Amino acid sequence: MADTPRKPIVERATALLAGPFLLGQRALSVVFAPGQDAPAEAPAPAVSRLTITPPEHAIKRRG
Amino acid sequence: MRTDAAQAGAIPEALLEPALTVGTVTPGSLDDQVLAFPETKPPRQWYVGLAITLTAMFIGLGFIGYTFVKGIGAWGNTSPVFWAFDIINFVFWVGIGHAGTLISAILFLFRKRWRNAIARFAEAMTIFAVICAVIFPLIHVGRPWLAYWLFPYPNQRALWTNFRSPLLWDVFAVNTYFSVSLMFWYLGLIPDIASMRDRTTSKLRKTIYTILALGWRGAATHWQHYEKAYLLLAGLATGLVLSVHSVVSFDFATSVVPGWHMTIFPPYFVAGAIFAGFAMVVMVLVVVRETMQLKNLITMRHLDVMNKVILAMSCIMGYSYMMEGFTAWYSMNEFLHHGFMNIITGTYGWAGWVTISCNILIPQLLWFKKARASYFWMILVAVGVTIGMWFERFVIIVISLHQDFLPSAWRIYKPTMTDFGVLLGTFGIFFTLVLLFARVLPVIATTEVKAILPDAQPSHHGDDHHA
Amino acid sequence: MKTRLPEHGPLETPRFWRTLEERIETPEAQAAAHDEFLPGAGPGAFDDVHGLPVQSGFSRRDFLGLVSATAALAATVACDRKGQGTVVPYTKRPVEVVPGVANYYASATHEGRRVYPVLVKTREGRPIHLTGNDEHPGVKGKTSPRTLADVLRLYDPDRLRAPKAEGRTTSWTEVEGQLHGVLRSSKSSGKAVLLISPAVASPSRKALLADFKAALPTLEHLAYEPAAGDAAEEAAKASFGQAVDIQPRLAKAKVILSLGADFLNGEDPEALGAWGAQRRLKSAKDSINRLWVLEGPLTLTGTNADVRVPVSPSRLGAVAFALAKELAAKGVALPAGTDLSAASSQDAVPAKAWANLVKDLQHAGRNAVVLCGAQMPAEAHQAAHLLNTMLGSEAVATRAAEPLATVKDLEAAVTAMAAGHYAAAIFWDVNPAFTFPKAQAWKQALAKVPFRAWIGQVEDETSAQCQVLLPESHWLESWGDFSTPGAAVLQQPTVGTLYDTRQGEDILLGALKALGASASDSYHAYLKARWQKSLPATTSFEQALHDGLVKVEDKASAPSFKAASVAAAAKKAAVSRAGGLELVLVPGFATHDGRHANNSWLQETPDPISKMTWDNPVAVSVQDAQALGIQEGDWVNLSLGDTTLRLPAVLQPGQAKGVLTLALGYGRSTGGVAKGVGANAFPLMSLDPASANLVQGVRLAKAGGRKELSRTQSHHRMEGRDIVRSLTMDEFEHNPKGHHHMPELVTLYEDQKFPDHKWGMVIDLAACTGCSACVVACQSENNVPVVGPEQVARGREMHWIRIDRYYEGELENPKVVHQPMLCQHCDSAPCENVCPVNATNHSPDGLNQMAYNRCVGTRYCANNCPYKVRRFNFLEYTAYKTEPETLVNNPEVTVRPRGVMEKCSFCVQRIQDVKIRAKGEGRSIFDGEVTTACMAGCPSDAIVFGDLKDPKSKVAQLVAASRAYKVLEELGAKPAITYLADLKNPPVSAASIEGGSHAH
Repeated sequence: MADTPRKPIVERATALLAGPFLLGQRALSVVFAPGQDAPAEAPAPAVSRLTITPPEHAIKRRG
Repeated sequence: MRTDAAQAGAIPEALLEPALTVGTVTPGSLDDQVLAFPETKPPRQWYVGLAITLTAMFIGLGFIGYTFVKGIGAWGNTSPVFWAFDIINFVFWVGIGHAGTLISAILFLFRKRWRNAIARFAEAMTIFAVICAVIFPLIHVGRPWLAYWLFPYPNQRALWTNFRSPLLWDVFAVNTYFSVSLMFWYLGLIPDIASMRDRTTSKLRKTIYTILALGWRGAATHWQHYEKAYLLLAGLATGLVLSVHSVVSFDFATSVVPGWHMTIFPPYFVAGAIFAGFAMVVMVLVVVRETMQLKNLITMRHLDVMNKVILAMSCIMGYSYMMEGFTAWYSMNEFLHHGFMNIITGTYGWAGWVTISCNILIPQLLWFKKARASYFWMILVAVGVTIGMWFERFVIIVISLHQDFLPSAWRIYKPTMTDFGVLLGTFGIFFTLVLLFARVLPVIATTEVKAILPDAQPSHHGDDHHA
Repeated sequence: MKTRLPEHGPLETPRFWRTLEERIETPEAQAAAHDEFLPGAGPGAFDDVHGLPVQSGFSRRDFLGLVSATAALAATVACDRKGQGTVVPYTKRPVEVVPGVANYYASATHEGRRVYPVLVKTREGRPIHLTGNDEHPGVKGKTSPRTLADVLRLYDPDRLRAPKAEGRTTSWTEVEGQLHGVLRSSKSSGKAVLLISPAVASPSRKALLADFKAALPTLEHLAYEPAAGDAAEEAAKASFGQAVDIQPRLAKAKVILSLGADFLNGEDPEALGAWGAQRRLKSAKDSINRLWVLEGPLTLTGTNADVRVPVSPSRLGAVAFALAKELAAKGVALPAGTDLSAASSQDAVPAKAWANLVKDLQHAGRNAVVLCGAQMPAEAHQAAHLLNTMLGSEAVATRAAEPLATVKDLEAAVTAMAAGHYAAAIFWDVNPAFTFPKAQAWKQALAKVPFRAWIGQVEDETSAQCQVLLPESHWLESWGDFSTPGAAVLQQPTVGTLYDTRQGEDILLGALKALGASASDSYHAYLKARWQKSLPATTSFEQALHDGLVKVEDKASAPSFKAASVAAAAKKAAVSRAGGLELVLVPGFATHDGRHANNSWLQETPDPISKMTWDNPVAVSVQDAQALGIQEGDWVNLSLGDTTLRLPAVLQPGQAKGVLTLALGYGRSTGGVAKGVGANAFPLMSLDPASANLVQGVRLAKAGGRKELSRTQSHHRMEGRDIVRSLTMDEFEHNPKGHHHMPELVTLYEDQKFPDHKWGMVIDLAACTGCSACVVACQSENNVPVVGPEQVARGREMHWIRIDRYYEGELENPKVVHQPMLCQHCDSAPCENVCPVNATNHSPDGLNQMAYNRCVGTRYCANNCPYKVRRFNFLEYTAYKTEPETLVNNPEVTVRPRGVMEKCSFCVQRIQDVKIRAKGEGRSIFDGEVTTACMAGCPSDAIVFGDLKDPKSKVAQLVAASRAYKVLEELGAKPAITYLADLKNPPVSAASIEGGSHAH
């Protein structure tokens, strides 16, 4: 196993794509870390979801 | 053959082909006349024309953008007229393209040497018309961002296209047609581009023409390969002239819609396409020969011959229309009968009569030599044919669809502003491309015309002069 | 460079062993111990997949590298910030709800006096689809189109979500405090309180109202149904001395005479069920009923008539009394004391038809029934009562009922309001500010009432005039009960209240307590206590809730007919003659009295006759239109006194000359959907209850211009094509196939193979009345989008099933046929061949299926569909929808985006559901186990669905019937839907009847 020829193309592609992405994400998360004194942007209004509750005392036919 | 016969002196003068150019044209003067255009400053009319066509083009692009944002509902298409301006325009523009291929390929194979002077322009119009045509299959689908699914490309979901669908045949037919036409046109341009490369003094132009000329030096081996390739592509394109519009007609002919389901459609569509294409070529060439001072190369004889083709095609169209009526009557098929009566008496009967008048009645003027030699009459006919052929597709598509089998589903179709805007836009694109072409590339194939100059023909009178 | 681990060292005898073989060192065991991976888990498995050389394999490093790349790219792809909601599992799962499994609850609702017991399907706690309660002996699992669509009202975004006082949102404590304070002070001061509610069809609600009246003696209660037909109320009072509810029992009727009664319009599933049973004939020997219709407007019932004669509604009374007189002359006994001297002979019905009608009624006797339309004048009703009494008809059930307030009672209330009689007014689920004919007088009078409270769901014209708004729960969130013949029906909530709403009864109970009376804590407790008192010992309240009903013996006796009332009615009928045009105001098919006007499903369901959506044009007879020069869609001014309405006109073939028809319930000024749709016709209503819906002396004039009608069908003739076949009983017996010859169909393609099932459908046109319940059922089941009036006008409606309606014969009284048209699931489907991307194709069980994901929208399939049943999403009709609107969607059916073709799927989700269930139980599918939504919704059982491969299935047997044919069979598409030819049963000598329409 250990002496199997490596596939540099795969590794290179991996490094090329994943590396910058992960680093970039990390960098961005540092820069835009929550809790910084960024202007308190009003949080987007939460999509109003209705709460569906089952009926009280009802008896279902089947299901 | 001709050369032999002429050398034998057996053919009387009257039967000889008259000169294909007017006045004294030498290879040198020809180059100066044709290849100089791109070097000169365009006249004011050119700018005015370009402004108009660009405006039309951007209006059309705006409406296409609007269609993308809104959906096909921005058009008048509805149930049961699910296809309307989109496919009318598609068939119309594909048809316009046919004249170019016919002139450049079929007439080449038949050694009709008069075609040499107009082949370049006609071919260019083919390319531009097909560009206008292919816009429609792309924008008319409900989800244009998925239009590439019409191509059979390998994918991990193992989804494949339906080869029984004429729409897929269309994809191949139009693609093949466009690529072959483009290659054919470009191949023919190479020697001329090389000449322009050699003539130009502008550095930028030189660079561009150098790249486009693909290293053409005019060596004998170049010419040998060139001639062979040209002949082969002409052969290939000849088949396409017949096949493309036949395949387009299959969209209709293989369906069950009364008024579409007809065996006469393939030849009828091809004839109609050549008809419309020639009309467009006549219109444009008249303008070109007047404004670009090419009267000596594009002669009245060219126009006369093309008008004769239009007349012949008009007769074929007339026959086809009559056959449609005959089939409707003879088949005793109530749906077909109703469909045919709709063309002449229905809500859209006016469109039927526009078609018949413009395509059959007006072109009969061309029986008169005077009409064939008069700008006024030939432009009248050409404009009429262009309008008539657009309406013919309207008749086929909208009239057939709006009343088919179940009367409960029948409905009147009304186009919207967007429909007209997109149609205008394609005219804008077409003429913009024509105008640009006329300024940057040789509008006449100089190398081919040189071959038909009197000097180039030892069989002609030239023999005596140079003997 | 990386350091590599050394390869396996030289083999040594293992100190630890995994298997006995390894211990004794068999060669296989040695090899196995050498390999890191057990067989199948080793690199070899990778190699098979990737085709890599066995020796090279995939290194762990490479594998991990790929995994990280995959994860990283997956993360990139997942960075889609389109504001999708968060998906969280239930922290505490409700006991009732299993995700993915539908629950069914029995419940009920009512419209006026008519009760609809229903079965409610809920998914993830959301009610999404209704059918009739199959346990109910009357409705037998069927219900009306408006009830089917009422589930949408639950999710109406316009619903009031919290109480309001003086226009601001507030708490229940405040609004109830205000209400209770006013009630207490009225009780002490003795000032009257007005309560207006809809018809009281519920015994418990009636008891509660009685309790309320006892606690508040000054309460004045009006049960107000503006579209119910005041004339019927008036006539009942005259004929029986009390309010009655008249229900046809068509199962017992051999001859039916309708005097403008539209009992087949879908409102009455019981009547439709009985009608269907009498019309679904297997052979010409089977017995069939005969329907005579004398009417002014063309109704659905009229289109289903065996003989229809157009008669002005104002003359119907005279005609009916003439009929009574003639029958009496032929020996049919008149009730003692009947004075018919004022009745004269009639000339509205041609003589031969008349003779046949008299003969028919006389022969049928007890099996004959005369039904009168609610909008017809009172004297016509009285004549019908007399005729039924004379014939001793068993085909009609007349029961004592709670009286309804007529327009006269409302007018009296308005006068009292204006006089300052009331201290408070409570409007519970009624909208008199919209429905009372004199809206201005109403407004001025109401302003004189100091306290005005409104209980309802969506703010309306009345709520705008009230100070306190109490949001009411939808009936699917509420308790209740109803009495129907044959069963006491329970209404239970099927979902907890979506908003801060209460049901009206709970508000009343609160008021009762505030007034010092003892009352239950909730209406549920109140109802349960009442029921437990009266339940038979064999059952329990829980069982009743499970079934939705308790069957009871129908013991109600008919009130006796008062013969003395006849003389005056006959006299009145004899003198009533139309002066000029007469206008019939009918409840809107979609809107009823306006209460459903905010329901977009109903607004877009085409009117079964005019095929209009989203509008109430005035229907003009062909003759009048010609005389006035009016064309289809012309704007007209319809005036009566000072009131003028500007309306589009439609030409209505078959409508009697001099008659105009206009639907009520349109022209609302509130509601996101209802606002501005059509014009309000209530101002034209007469203040004389005896002819409230029939107005004389109306003027009609062109107003200039034309409206583009939102109509789903614009061509009304069949053009002589063989599309809807119709047979008379005579033809059915002797020559059911007629002159239709099927050419041999030749095809180049191989026939489709159906290894297991071949789903098919049979539609009996003789049983189909055109009521359109299937259209609404399909809309609800399949998430069919609503497109709005402009798009309908363009022809882009999306219904998967439509009812084609054709007129044949003379325009004055045409023969009318209805044909449900949906995807025919052709075996050689023209649509499948032409799709370039294979988005539509054939399933091995015979379904023509649509892969929405694959569709790019070339629309070629729709062009090539001979039936034009494919629907294209020309615009984005669904994506912009948010909660609560999306909650009504059936999660088993994909919501289609813009640019995609869609069509009937034969309810493939239901087929799959049954298939899975059958597979789980290890059995084959029973015949009739799979029902499509249209079939389940069809009240007359005209639609049968099943497996054509099973020769014993009902559908396979019907396909072989002599009436069977396929539409456009000659095209060779091999549709999977078979139609059974329509049947008409004209009198034998009908061919010679002049004026009788359906004797072709």
